[in-house]
Amino acid sequence: MNKPVLSIVVVGGGTAGWITAGRIAAHHRTNANSPIQVTLVESPNIPIIGVGEGTWPTMRSTLMKLGISETDFIRECDASFKQGAKFARWTTGASDDFYYHPLMLPQGFGKTNLVAHWQKNRTQLNNESFSATVCFQEAICEQGLAPKMISTPEFSSVANYAYHLNAGKFSQFLQRHCCEKLGVRHILADVIHVNSNDHGDITSVTTAQAGNIAGDLFVDCTGFSSLLLGQHLQVPFIDHSDVLFIDTALAAQIPYEHENSPIASHTISTAQSAGWIWDIGLRHRRGIGHVYSSRHTNEERAMEELQRYIGPAFNQASVRKIPIHCGHRKIFWKNNCVAVGLSAGFLEPLEASALVLVELSATFIAEQLPARREVMDITAKRFNETFQYRWQRIIDFLKLHYILSKRTDSEFWIDNRDKSTIPPSLQELMELWRYQAPGDLDFSSNNEVFPAASYQYVLYGMGFETDFSNHAHLLMDKEFAHSQFIKTQKAIAHASSNLPGNRELLNKIYEYGLQTI
Amino acid sequence: MPHFVALHNQLHQSIAIDTSKIEAQGALEHMVPVVLSEFLKLVVSYPIVFTKSSDTGQFLAVALLGFAKNENLFWQHQQWQSIYVPLNISRQPFFVGTEAGQTIICLDKESPCITNDINHESLFDKQGKDSAYLQQVKSQLAQLLDGETHTTDFIRTLRELNLIVPLTLDISFADQQEQRVQGLYSIDEDRLAQLNAEQLLQLQKQNYLQPIYTMIASLGHIYALIQKKNERLGYA
Repeated sequence: MNKPVLSIVVVGGGTAGWITAGRIAAHHRTNANSPIQVTLVESPNIPIIGVGEGTWPTMRSTLMKLGISETDFIRECDASFKQGAKFARWTTGASDDFYYHPLMLPQGFGKTNLVAHWQKNRTQLNNESFSATVCFQEAICEQGLAPKMISTPEFSSVANYAYHLNAGKFSQFLQRHCCEKLGVRHILADVIHVNSNDHGDITSVTTAQAGNIAGDLFVDCTGFSSLLLGQHLQVPFIDHSDVLFIDTALAAQIPYEHENSPIASHTISTAQSAGWIWDIGLRHRRGIGHVYSSRHTNEERAMEELQRYIGPAFNQASVRKIPIHCGHRKIFWKNNCVAVGLSAGFLEPLEASALVLVELSATFIAEQLPARREVMDITAKRFNETFQYRWQRIIDFLKLHYILSKRTDSEFWIDNRDKSTIPPSLQELMELWRYQAPGDLDFSSNNEVFPAASYQYVLYGMGFETDFSNHAHLLMDKEFAHSQFIKTQKAIAHASSNLPGNRELLNKIYEYGLQTI
Repeated sequence: MPHFVALHNQLHQSIAIDTSKIEAQGALEHMVPVVLSEFLKLVVSYPIVFTKSSDTGQFLAVALLGFAKNENLFWQHQQWQSIYVPLNISRQPFFVGTEAGQTIICLDKESPCITNDINHESLFDKQGKDSAYLQQVKSQLAQLLDGETHTTDFIRTLRELNLIVPLTLDISFADQQEQRVQGLYSIDEDRLAQLNAEQLLQLQKQNYLQPIYTMIASLGHIYALIQKKNERLGYA
C-alpha cells in the first residue's frame, strides 16, 4: 500500500483508452526512460463500439494537449466542424418546429440577461427565436457555413466549434500518435484473468498472448463489459432508464448524394414517435441513427421511421443495432482501478456527452495522478464525488429536452413528462426558472458540465416562459439589451459575407492545411 | 474584368504597351506579393511582411503599401512615389500562365496599358522577333516565376523553425482615428536570437540570413507609411 504510482495500465483501446493513455503520457512526459510508464493493453479480437461521432469544443484543447496537429486530425479522422445542434420537431412535432443549441454564449452574456428583453419584445424582434436573436451561430449553421476561414490558425475560431469525426479512424489515429510521439507502450493481447492482492488492489492482468502485465494503477476502458471495475471489483451499475427511456440504437452510414453535397456544420436531431434520429455530416458520409425506447415502440416501427428519414439510400445501407443501458457505475474509482468511457457508464447520445466525459476523466486522472498509493484513496474519493455530480447534471440536462416537449403523439412523450420520472434536482430548477432565467449562480459547482447558457437555449428554444413581472426593473437596461440584439445582427451579416461553406473549407484544409499561427 | 490570352507574335504584332499607365494598375492595392530576389530593392522604401492568402491560407511575402483595403499610400498625384516599383506591378499587363503543362506568357487584353499607338513600346518587330522591351518583360516574369519557388521555400524554412510571428499594429493617426491592422506577420526576433549554431548554419547556407534581416530592417518603414497616411489625411 505504500509505494509510488509509476506503472499505469490502460485496458481497452477505443477512443476512451487512447485519450486517457495519451493525456497521462503527455502530462507526465513519458518516454522510454521516464519514471512513469503508460501501457495500453488491447484485445486484437474485440471490435470497438465506435459510434461516438460528436464532440464538444473541449476536444480542441484535448487535441492541443496531446500535441496533435488539427490539420492531421481533420484529414485522417474524416473530421468536420460542428457548431452545436439543431433540434427539429421536439416541441410540437410540426414540420417547421425547430430550435438551436449553439456553442456560443448569448451576446453580452454575463453583462446582462437578454431573456427578459427577448420575451418582452418578441414582436419588435420579428418573432425570431431566442437563439436567432442572441447568437449569430444559428444563422451560420442555417447557411451551411464553416466556423472559421482557411487563414484562421489551427484550433482558433471565428465561431466556437467542436467536431464530428469517424470514431474508428480517430482511435487508430490516436493510437499512432500515442505510440509514436507520446511513448505509450501498446500490447495486443486478450485479458483472461485479473489478479489482486489482499487489499483488493489489482496487481496485474493475465493475458493470453503476453503473459502477466503488472501495474500500479489500472484504467478500465473495456467498454460495456466493464471488465475490471464492474466484473472484477463488483461495483454495481446504477440504472437510470426510469428517467431516460432510450434503450436501443439503430445506426447507419449514408453516402452523400453528390461529391459536393453540402456538409451540415451542426448535429441534426429530429424527434420521432418514441425517440429521435441523429444526423451527423462527415466529409465522405453521414452517420444517421435512430435511438428509441423499446418500451414505447418496436424495432420494426423504429426501422420504418429511420427509413422514412433516410429515403431511398436506406435500401443500400446496413443498419447496426446497439443496445443502450442507460446508467453508470455507482463509483468510478475503486482501489487502484478507475473506469473511463462506456465501462463507467453511458447515457443516450443526446448532446454528445460520452466523449466529453472521457476527456474530463482523462484530464482528472492525468493532472491529479496520485504520486503514491497511500494517497490514492483520497484522489479516488474526489474523483467519485466529482463524476457522480457530473453524471447527475448530464442526466438532468438531457431530461430537460423531454419534459419541455408538448408532443402528445405517443406515450413516450407523455410518460417523459410524468413527474415521477423527473429527478428532484431538475424539478427544483424548473421551479426556480418559473420566475428567473438560468444564470451562472444556479450552477455554482466547479464541476459543472453544461453552462447556464445551454439551459437558456433549450428552455426558451422549446417555448418555456419565465414570469419576470415581479422583477420588472430587470428590464431597465433596455438600451444595452437593444445594442446587443443589433450586435448579433451585425455579426450575422459579417459572418455571412466572410465565412466559407463548410465543405469548401474542409476541401481547402485537405489541399493546403491550416497554419499553426 | 481581366481577360488573359496567350501572347502570340502574329496576333499581337500590332499592339504596343503604354508604360506610363502601368503603375496606375496598382493604385488601389494595399499590399503586393513580392519575391526574395527583390528584397534588397524593396527595403529602400517598403515594409516587407508576410500575410496569408485568403484563398489558401498559405503565407505570402508582400510589400505593405497601405493600412486598409484599396489604400496605396505610394500612389500620390497620379504617380508611384518610390524609386523601385515591385515586380508584380511593373510586369503588368503580362502574366505567367500554363497551357498543356507548359509555361506560357499571357496578356490581359482588357488592360488600359494596351494601345495601338506605335509610338509606345511594341512587343514584336516585323519578323515577329521579341522587341527589347518584351525581352525585359520576359526577364521580369522569369524572375517572378523563379522567385515564387524560392520565396515559398524560404517561408517553409521559417515555419519549420517557428520564426514567423503575428504582427499586430495599433496605429493612432493624426486625426485621432485609431486602427488595428491584423493579419500581418513578421520575423520572430526573440526566437531568431535563440537559434542554435546548427540552425543558424542552415540558414546561412540557404542564403536566408540576409532576407531575414532585410525583413526586420524594413519594418521601420511602417512609421514612414503612417507619415504618408497622415499627409493624406491633411496633417503634415
